[in-house]
Amino acid sequence: MEYLSSDKIAIVDLATGDITEEELDEDLVLEKLGGAGITTSLYHRFEGEDPIVLGTGVLTGSLIPGAALSIMTAKSPLTGKLSHVPIVLAAGIEFKYSGFDYMVIKGASDKPVYLWIHDGIVDINDAADVWGKDVWAATDTIREFMGDDLIQVLGIGKAGEDQSPLATVCVNYWQGGDRLGFGTLFGKKNLKLIGIRGMGLLEIAEPEEFVEDCIELLSTIKASVGEKKGITQMAAALGAEDIGEWLDPLVHRHMACFNTPNPTNSFVFTDEDPARLEESDVAEPGFLLTDIYPLIVLKRLGLSAKDACTLLKDCAKYGIDAAAVADLSEKNRTTTPDDIRKSFPELKEPAQQPDTGVFSPWAWVGKPDAQSWQRRQAVSYILGIHPLFALTSSDLTEEKLLDMASLGTELELTQETLNEVIADVTGK
Amino acid sequence: MGIKIDGLLCTGCMACELACGYHRDDAFALLSSCIVPYRGREKKNYLGVILKEEDSLVAARPEGLEVNKIGEEQDPDKEADASAKPMLLRESCDLCEDMDEGPLCIKFCPVNAISMA
Repeated sequence: MEYLSSDKIAIVDLATGDITEEELDEDLVLEKLGGAGITTSLYHRFEGEDPIVLGTGVLTGSLIPGAALSIMTAKSPLTGKLSHVPIVLAAGIEFKYSGFDYMVIKGASDKPVYLWIHDGIVDINDAADVWGKDVWAATDTIREFMGDDLIQVLGIGKAGEDQSPLATVCVNYWQGGDRLGFGTLFGKKNLKLIGIRGMGLLEIAEPEEFVEDCIELLSTIKASVGEKKGITQMAAALGAEDIGEWLDPLVHRHMACFNTPNPTNSFVFTDEDPARLEESDVAEPGFLLTDIYPLIVLKRLGLSAKDACTLLKDCAKYGIDAAAVADLSEKNRTTTPDDIRKSFPELKEPAQQPDTGVFSPWAWVGKPDAQSWQRRQAVSYILGIHPLFALTSSDLTEEKLLDMASLGTELELTQETLNEVIADVTGK
Repeated sequence: MGIKIDGLLCTGCMACELACGYHRDDAFALLSSCIVPYRGREKKNYLGVILKEEDSLVAARPEGLEVNKIGEEQDPDKEADASAKPMLLRESCDLCEDMDEGPLCIKFCPVNAISMA
């Protein structure tokens, strides 16, 4: 595929150490569009080897507002379903620019390894220096070893290494969107982490028209969506209960995922003055909040915002799904931060999650209409749009996104195909 | 006339960086941009924007602007930003002079952190 693509699929066999590459066939894009459409197809092709498939949308990494999303597709150990989890912050686009559109990771290594993806190359490296380290220390180690602080890391902590069913794949130091036990799959494969650096280039079929349309779309979105900033305003916009009064005093700054107009994340300072502008002298002054749901539950449990955020940081270091921890703590009536922290190794049963079909419940906030929520998630996961932002921006219509995808790729990507791919991905 | 940046408003979305990269390469790429959010101090959430001008490197930090003349000796005690290292090798900001739309970083900043001075 010539445009908005690196034209490459990698197939990584952790069992043998073999890595092969294929071109991304335009016929596959015409039939399955991209993102979850193609990762689902690749999953079925390698189903017998228990693959995890990384994938990008056609629009991922472009100037379309919200074009932040890459995804991982695998069979969730929690639900038993073929499922998809989001890769956001800057990790989604670093993968898009790494030289690959898709990557199949199959088999299991007989010793701990990590993958290093960069410049159209993927290496399988010995993970002896990072295995046993928490998520933060492992991220630091890889960045220091490679000499690049901008490397994006999809990694597991002790929970994943121990194959806890609640293990999650974190992004750098933070909770990612994996609420479906993909961290457990990393552990089963002896895969500690995936380091990604994207320094590639994506050609555009009709560059001037494409970029002009992006400017117009952003202008429309800015006028209609307004300035919803940070995790508390995003929660309110999606109909969740108000956590602003509780949390906002700790907020240092709001942070956006790549090219996402409304920042959906907030960085809180728990060990530093949140109003401080200069660089903190404290090595780890706080935590980036990326997931709304656990905050709501921990507030309901009676934790202070500071205790809740510190606990969430510890969840991320341990590599355990904070939403599940919050739910199970509420169910087990474990209400002090220390007791919750001590319970991490014992938490084995899956938490009760809403039925969000094949998509991670990460973007399930408030009480959305299930059918329209799933449709919107499907569009986001197929085309590469931030799943939370997509829920708040009705200007990103399916028609507009398909027009842009067609313009950027010079392929005729139609509504009929999108409907078919959504049916294929969701099984409906 | 030049570009003015409010480092405190920046949310680190990198839209300016990609827009500038497009201006340089007529494609989507990040390596040739003369404007980049510096995001190498992630754990501290210390974030601003670096802009390469013809004779200076502008760091729009949350606490204010810092302008370093290119070629002059820098404070050896100050830690360099990882994102800033390749900036000196890149072309300087030309305000997107060949583009009808004007400076694309301004057009694409969703939080109006970038404007014309």
